Amino acid sequence: MNRRSLRSTTKTQMFVWGWILVLPTIVGLMVLNIIPLINTINQSFHKTGDFGRGNIFIGLKNYQKLFSDQAVLQSIINTLKYTIVQVPFSVFIALVLAVMLNRQVKGRGAYRTIFFLPMVVAPAAISMVWRWLYHTEFGLINNLFNLKISWISDPAIAVFSIAIIGIWSDIGYNMILFLAGLQEVPKDYYEAADLDGANVIQTFRHITVPMISPILFFVIVTRMIAAMQVFDTIFMVMEQRSNPAMYKTQSLVYLFYQSSFVERDFGYGSTIVVVLLVLIMCITVIQMIAQKKWVHYN
Amino acid sequence: MKKRILVLLLVALTVSVMLFAGGDAEKAKTADVSKPLSVMIWDSNQEPGIRKLIDDFTAKTGVTAEIQVVDWNNYWTLLSAGAQGGSLPDVFWMHSNESQRYMSNDLLLDVTDRIAKSPIIDPENYPADIWSLYTYNKKYYAVPKDVDTIALWYNRALFDQAGVAYPTDDWTWEDLYAAAKKITKADGSVYGFACPNNNNQAGWYNLIYGNNGYVISEDKKKSGMDLPASIEAMKWMEKMINENLMPPQTVMTESSEDVLLQSGKIAMAMQGSWMLPAFRDNEYTLKNCDIAMLPKNSKTGRRPSIYNGLGWAIAKNSTRTDDAWKLVEYFGSQEGQLKQAQLGITMSAYNNTSDAWKNGVPQFNLQAYLNMQDDMVIRPFSRNTVKWENAVLDVMLRVWNKEISMEAGCKEAAAQMNAILAEE
Repeated sequence: MNRRSLRSTTKTQMFVWGWILVLPTIVGLMVLNIIPLINTINQSFHKTGDFGRGNIFIGLKNYQKLFSDQAVLQSIINTLKYTIVQVPFSVFIALVLAVMLNRQVKGRGAYRTIFFLPMVVAPAAISMVWRWLYHTEFGLINNLFNLKISWISDPAIAVFSIAIIGIWSDIGYNMILFLAGLQEVPKDYYEAADLDGANVIQTFRHITVPMISPILFFVIVTRMIAAMQVFDTIFMVMEQRSNPAMYKTQSLVYLFYQSSFVERDFGYGSTIVVVLLVLIMCITVIQMIAQKKWVHYN
Repeated sequence: MKKRILVLLLVALTVSVMLFAGGDAEKAKTADVSKPLSVMIWDSNQEPGIRKLIDDFTAKTGVTAEIQVVDWNNYWTLLSAGAQGGSLPDVFWMHSNESQRYMSNDLLLDVTDRIAKSPIIDPENYPADIWSLYTYNKKYYAVPKDVDTIALWYNRALFDQAGVAYPTDDWTWEDLYAAAKKITKADGSVYGFACPNNNNQAGWYNLIYGNNGYVISEDKKKSGMDLPASIEAMKWMEKMINENLMPPQTVMTESSEDVLLQSGKIAMAMQGSWMLPAFRDNEYTLKNCDIAMLPKNSKTGRRPSIYNGLGWAIAKNSTRTDDAWKLVEYFGSQEGQLKQAQLGITMSAYNNTSDAWKNGVPQFNLQAYLNMQDDMVIRPFSRNTVKWENAVLDVMLRVWNKEISMEAGCKEAAAQMNAILAEE
């Protein structure tokens, strides 16, 4: 066997093995993501019949209806409001915590575990607990501080109350990612900065943040996508049909759920998620372009 | 090396073949008698009682069944997903809001012949209105489970505190208003009455029909929400909202009326007969609360109760329709219906079983619910009830939240409802 053919056999082998190894993922992606995605886009051009039977093609009518639908516009605003509050706070608090817990603190493991715990608990359980914390009449928060605030039924603040739950649940997860990033930062930089007399805030701004900027970028992008898809907390914490704050709180995904699964208008529901998809894509593309300005890959 | 790849490919092939074969096998599943029948319901208050009925059934026939309780909102989501995916539970509750859609799409088992052959089920023994909810093209698709009426629950302790006489069967809505006004405390610790926007069947629908208005026209083509009679009736509710005789909507959304009644926060609430287990099993309400008939409309003298009845339905594609029918037949039999009443689960659909229900919980004046049967109006429905009902509730939410007036709300609700009905 000469050298050339040896190399080509290795190449074919790598090719075949490569495909065999990624096959499960690709099959999973196809079945769970790609095919439903195509189906959804297809459905958005149809008036769907009962129980998915007898769909009628209606072209862009669903989109026409969507652009004149006040509720959709309002829920886009609600979703953006939620995202603008939830992402920065959950990222910033997590980053500060990660920096603090990266040092030699007593009981470091315990703190890390405590902050990570919300991530382990089921979202439904979290929502039930928060629902009672927020309760106007019998809630812990109002009773503890002697307040009379309708946290989850006042249209002006409900969306922020929901965002607080989101911040609380995400801090632990973000913190773990940042901690992993901080391990990679060489100690020498901090020692050098120390010699030059830099204070804590200066080292944080000029060393820590640039050094972990790739992770920071990753966290912001993924959290933003997740925040745009908020649904479960709204669904679990707020009562459907009777909560006066719902209109000013419902997210796009919640509206999609209402259209598709409560009113069973799958065509219109699909149209709403297609809009969400486009929105998320735009935001992510902007972030990808903007990262060149602030993310440093070594 | 090549051999290894070959082996691996073969393994991959076999695995995938097995997977797909597995999929096919599931589709062509045959009746597995050893597995329990699946039963799905939405009211957890009724679950313990229904479980007892199923135990009796199992003791008799040897067929086992398992109940799954899914709350009202998710019940229909789950059921329609099951219908679309071909995996409905064997036996489940049907409701007038949805029955038309399920029957017309051929998802429920046609039980007409089975009823004709059954020595136990005779349509004569149940109210014709309830049969009509589950009849499509002159075929029966469910067996009546229960009937329900609406009455007024009140908290004796709060009435005593305020020195107001308890509600009587001669009350008019004005009497209720006056009593609520006396009982309501300015600091918001006690309210006279509560009825949130989304309590339609047990709540404000009754007012509309009492004033000779209607919610949906006879031919199911037009909304009656904007009729002068309907608006006039609803203005009573507006008075209760605007004079703060009810807790604000923000409070009523966070705790439903039954919770508010159970915690001594409100003195009166309109509740359906299906709520009995909840109030019976709560110490506070068992001690302090009682029931009166709904007030009369002073102008028309009418006191209608919106009523409804659930049906036990069987999935058409169930693999065990014979066993499922046996269970439904038992639920609908005189024996099963009598037990349902005696256990205080709900009033039964079977004629002349209501006394058993009344005597089941002697602490409450359940006669009030039975008296309400004198003037009954079937719960408004059409083919796609949920869609317009939700639209109307969303408009009413704005009225209850004092954003728009009741008159504007009723007109807006009618406009939206008419648009939806036109598409049906």
